[in-house]
Amino acid sequence: MRLVLALFVLLTSAAWGTAQAGGIAIVLNSGDASLSLIDMAHGTELRRVPVLREPHHVALSPDGRELLVGDAGANEMLFLDPRTGEIKRRLPMADPYHLAFSPDGKWLTVTGLARNQVDVYDAASMTLAKRFPLSSMPSHVAYAPDSSTAYVTLQGTNRLAAIDLRRLVVNWTAEVGATPAGVLWLNGKLLVANMGSDHFAVVDPVDGRVETRVHTGRGAHQLFLSPDGKTLWVNNRVDGTTVALDAKTYALIRSYRVPGGPDCIDFAFDGKLWITQRFIQKVAVLDPATGAIQSLAVGRSPHGIFLTGGER
Amino acid sequence: MTDPFSLAAGWLHETLLLPALYAVGAMEWEEIAFGWALFACYGLAQVAVTFAICLPLERWRPVERWPDQKAVWVDVFYTVLSRVGVLPLVTFVLFYQLQVGLNGWLSDHGWIPPTLERLAPALLGHHLLTFFLYAVILDLSEYWRHRLSHMFGWWWALHSLHHAQRQMTFWSDDRNHVLDDLIGFVWFTAVALLIGIPPMQFPLLVLLLRFLESLSHANARLSYGWLGERLLVSPRYHRSHHSVLAAGQRSANYGAILPWWDVLFGTADFSRAYVRTGDPSAEEALATGSYFQQQWAGLRRMARMAGWAGPRRAAGLKRGH
Repeated sequence: MRLVLALFVLLTSAAWGTAQAGGIAIVLNSGDASLSLIDMAHGTELRRVPVLREPHHVALSPDGRELLVGDAGANEMLFLDPRTGEIKRRLPMADPYHLAFSPDGKWLTVTGLARNQVDVYDAASMTLAKRFPLSSMPSHVAYAPDSSTAYVTLQGTNRLAAIDLRRLVVNWTAEVGATPAGVLWLNGKLLVANMGSDHFAVVDPVDGRVETRVHTGRGAHQLFLSPDGKTLWVNNRVDGTTVALDAKTYALIRSYRVPGGPDCIDFAFDGKLWITQRFIQKVAVLDPATGAIQSLAVGRSPHGIFLTGGER
Repeated sequence: MTDPFSLAAGWLHETLLLPALYAVGAMEWEEIAFGWALFACYGLAQVAVTFAICLPLERWRPVERWPDQKAVWVDVFYTVLSRVGVLPLVTFVLFYQLQVGLNGWLSDHGWIPPTLERLAPALLGHHLLTFFLYAVILDLSEYWRHRLSHMFGWWWALHSLHHAQRQMTFWSDDRNHVLDDLIGFVWFTAVALLIGIPPMQFPLLVLLLRFLESLSHANARLSYGWLGERLLVSPRYHRSHHSVLAAGQRSANYGAILPWWDVLFGTADFSRAYVRTGDPSAEEALATGSYFQQQWAGLRRMARMAGWAGPRRAAGLKRGH
């Protein structure tokens, strides 16, 4: 009996050790009010943490000590331990859909997609600095590297808004294409994924003028830069593809078939991409070298994702 | 475990809805369409489960037998419109901007809809208990919406479409005037702003509640016994509400799922058994017309009654009424 117990302890600690080495993937199941915590080493769901309503996006605090999860339907911001996924505290907040900290860590910008508002918070105190009513459907946020400006896509009106964070005013809004969603600062320009089209727009951050458009696939939804800064990844929701582009030239490197409405991406240390598949309750683990995809079951409508063992 | 309804909704969305929205340049409705796909899949399941259980029950122990059931087919149409989500989708789209505006205005004034879980943090993680509490509160709100729809003359004129059916079956639950449904949606939205209702967080339990509502309209001799009748609305109990004797602005048994509210507010009537249904004062089109004839007749009746109708004194039907 002792031998069996000893073996059991040995095996479970070995498994735990491996899990620690691989880290945990935290997946936000927006459709069934929960977070899936996945052991990245073994690809198994460790547990499902209930939240109130509808978690969509996630952001790591500037000091790396807290992971913020916006529960838009519950009007609540959750603060998690980024190592374990444990919920440490909750803060009432109006419709936190997408959220991002400014590069200097001073501001937290939160879009309220269902309320046509963009809230800028003082990140240190979490107090609202200013609310910007912006029509309509403010979706995703990006910043200028000097933290002078926050850029927000307005899905319902095909526009991009630039918010001056020094004066807390809207500098401009400009038309950028059909149903803009993801936005990313790259090479001194803004890249805006136009979900109602098949491309991302390259936008001048000074005035919002579209300089060129780069084809990626139907339903271009979100853009992510690889940790080494060399590859630009774009998810195309209608085509069901994830494409890799050269981050400097925007030349297509490779297109991968990722069914089920690919949405958010996080990058693991082993070079693999973890991609949420909104419509099929799964997370795809894509090995870009081979193109192999392993899909893991999670909750309904998985949206944001954060890898505790991720590369940033 | 992967939820088969969600997978079906995902397939519907990815294969049909998303390409269609993309083709017509309406991708901003993409999230809403996905939510609707799930609603529609659960709606289809609701219809199938209700059909599979209620139909044999109605055949086995019918209260009434009719030579033909033409009037029932219109109710089938109502059910499909409502449960598969066409009407909720239209209502939602119509009211979307209004909701957004109202939510934004309220949050500008510091109002963040509370949730039961925030008021009672001990509920966090206790899904079944939380759902039960939400269901009880919603049922109470439905009781008052329903009761008010009988009190106001113009509103009763619309709601009388639901009562005009003389061949009441499990299909009759969704037989409503479209304006009555719209008022119901506004009512629900107001309650959601007050208590923060979880939308499709508990789809299987919502399916169960909707099944109970359909069952309460079934043309079946089914009672839950003395105690059961006081815990849950049965076909026998709800039939009293639809009885020819109770039709109108003074009625009884308004409860949708729970008879508790009728007992509490003095409108419960446990005395009648398996009475005939219908509204003798309604014009024939309301009972046996086509869908559009019924809708038009409801509007006409509302216009007639709006001339003199006003708030009526709340009056519950006493026993033996």
